[in-house]
Amino acid sequence: MSLSTEPLAATGAVGAAQQAAPALAARTSGLRKVYGHTVAVDCVDLEVPQGAVLGLLGPNGSGKTTTIRMLLGLTRPSAGSVELLGVPMPDGADRALPHVGALVEGPGFHPFLSGRENLRRCAAAEPLLPTEGISRAVDEALERVGLGHAATRKYRGYSLGMKQRLGLAAALLVPRRLVVLDEPTNGLDPAGTREIRAVMAELHGSGTTVVVSSHLLSEVEATCTHVAVLHQGTAVAQGSLAELLDAGTPTLTVSTEDVQIAVDTLRDNRIPFWSDVDSVRVELVTATPQQVIEKLVLAGVGVREARRERTGLEELFARLTESDVREGS
Amino acid sequence: MTTASIASPQLLERTPRAPLGRLLGAELRWVLRRPRTLAAFGVLALVPLGLGLLMSMMDFGAAPLQGPPVLASLLGNGMVLPLAAMGMAMPLLMPMIVSMTAADAIAGESSHGTLRGLLIAPIGRTRLVVVKAVGVAAVTALAVAVLALLGITAGVAFTGTTEFTSLSGTSLTFMEGIGRVGVAAAWVWLQMFAVAAVALALSSLTDHPLVVLAVMMGTLIVFAVLGGIGDLSWLHPVLLTTGWMSVIDVIRDPMESTALVESSVRALCYIVIGLSATIARMATKDS
Repeated sequence: MSLSTEPLAATGAVGAAQQAAPALAARTSGLRKVYGHTVAVDCVDLEVPQGAVLGLLGPNGSGKTTTIRMLLGLTRPSAGSVELLGVPMPDGADRALPHVGALVEGPGFHPFLSGRENLRRCAAAEPLLPTEGISRAVDEALERVGLGHAATRKYRGYSLGMKQRLGLAAALLVPRRLVVLDEPTNGLDPAGTREIRAVMAELHGSGTTVVVSSHLLSEVEATCTHVAVLHQGTAVAQGSLAELLDAGTPTLTVSTEDVQIAVDTLRDNRIPFWSDVDSVRVELVTATPQQVIEKLVLAGVGVREARRERTGLEELFARLTESDVREGS
Repeated sequence: MTTASIASPQLLERTPRAPLGRLLGAELRWVLRRPRTLAAFGVLALVPLGLGLLMSMMDFGAAPLQGPPVLASLLGNGMVLPLAAMGMAMPLLMPMIVSMTAADAIAGESSHGTLRGLLIAPIGRTRLVVVKAVGVAAVTALAVAVLALLGITAGVAFTGTTEFTSLSGTSLTFMEGIGRVGVAAAWVWLQMFAVAAVALALSSLTDHPLVVLAVMMGTLIVFAVLGGIGDLSWLHPVLLTTGWMSVIDVIRDPMESTALVESSVRALCYIVIGLSATIARMATKDS
């Protein structure tokens, strides 16, 4: 891990301590899962504040789904503990899970039943749903995810996006305290993705805690209040989105044709940077933008454009998960 | 960090449960709407109908009989038909249908990803096994009912008589005959549910329904082979298939019950072992 992530982790810890023990919807500590010789998840200490929308971010195979499965009591951890809505899992599954809706590892339904019949079967198993309320809950959930028109069609004939929506509908059958969505936008077109975001925003608005996993940064950045980044089974960063966004170093991108002169100048002045074909990206650690531009212009660099860039989550993500991190020059 | 920081709302102190009747209803609706279940019933229905047709053709030709003794006794005796149908379906067809249902019940749901949904709902892992066992038991019962009811109907229709003759040569009334078929049906159900219980245990061990079917059928074939080897007679009491031929005992007069009772006890042992293993496995199964 690069040096620059250390203050990040520190910020996260301080943040948690300062907020005077916020109520947590879920917490894992020292979570570890080993399959044979493969360590799928190791030392994951996750905290999901109540009412938050937590984005679980990581490349494929980083342990997101395994973590979620342990969170829901589907898989027993090899070590460590899980608390869901204040109840230890998996032993307290019967108490906590009625309040939890989840879409894990893609939608699972029977191809020979229609969407509505599939949902009715899910609804029959929902402890908090009174028997007389099943029909209405099913129809409402179908409408909510935009499947009202396809309710009577066989699941077999559903498109990938429709299947995903049905999975979401199953998670929303009952008003929940916590909704866990594992890669909910898989297979969805941009409109479907927007709808999922709208549903998440709606859940957030009604006070429901949401945990959403994704390998797409843009998705998480747009919808989440909190982020946890997993990498090779370990949580490498977590905290509120704002904290994580601010924690990175701001940069200044200078477009120029005289990249070589710029590189020499910056190096002489000991200003860290990345160079590209027609631009240099300067880290604003030791120098202000004015100083950087002044030095470059005085050295004879033809500055075409200078743009200050906020450190996006994308960059953070890339920095945390890419193994070859370039520092300075 | 103290545990007080985690949310502990009072709502969570009680454990809500979906009514068991509702779960069973949903399970039965699901299993009975499945095309393969219906197809299995259709295939089973062919057994008594085919036997009846065969019987009427033999009767028509009035040729001297060559064939299995059970078929021979069919001639002019309608009550033997349901028993012969059950006897014919028992060694392979019924175990296959029952194993298939049990395989789909857990392994099939697991491979479809629907088992996760039930566990997350949650319906409780032990209750899941109860619901699944009831579902498989119901399919088994319906399968036996298809054989018995169609057998009686075909028997009466093709022989045109409601009088029955026992294997011992005495004659039985229609109601007595129905009673005997009922006893046979209950016995067949118990034997087949024993197969189902073991298949459910296998089903909880894998995500591949086909594995369950293959292992179950392989096991029954091995049992049948072992059962046929006289030198291994010490092994025969533990083989489920031992005594599967005794269904015909119900139409002796008086009813010969020793083998029926003994094989029923054996089936009960298999059921207890199979269901306990399923419950134990499901309690810790990662899915």
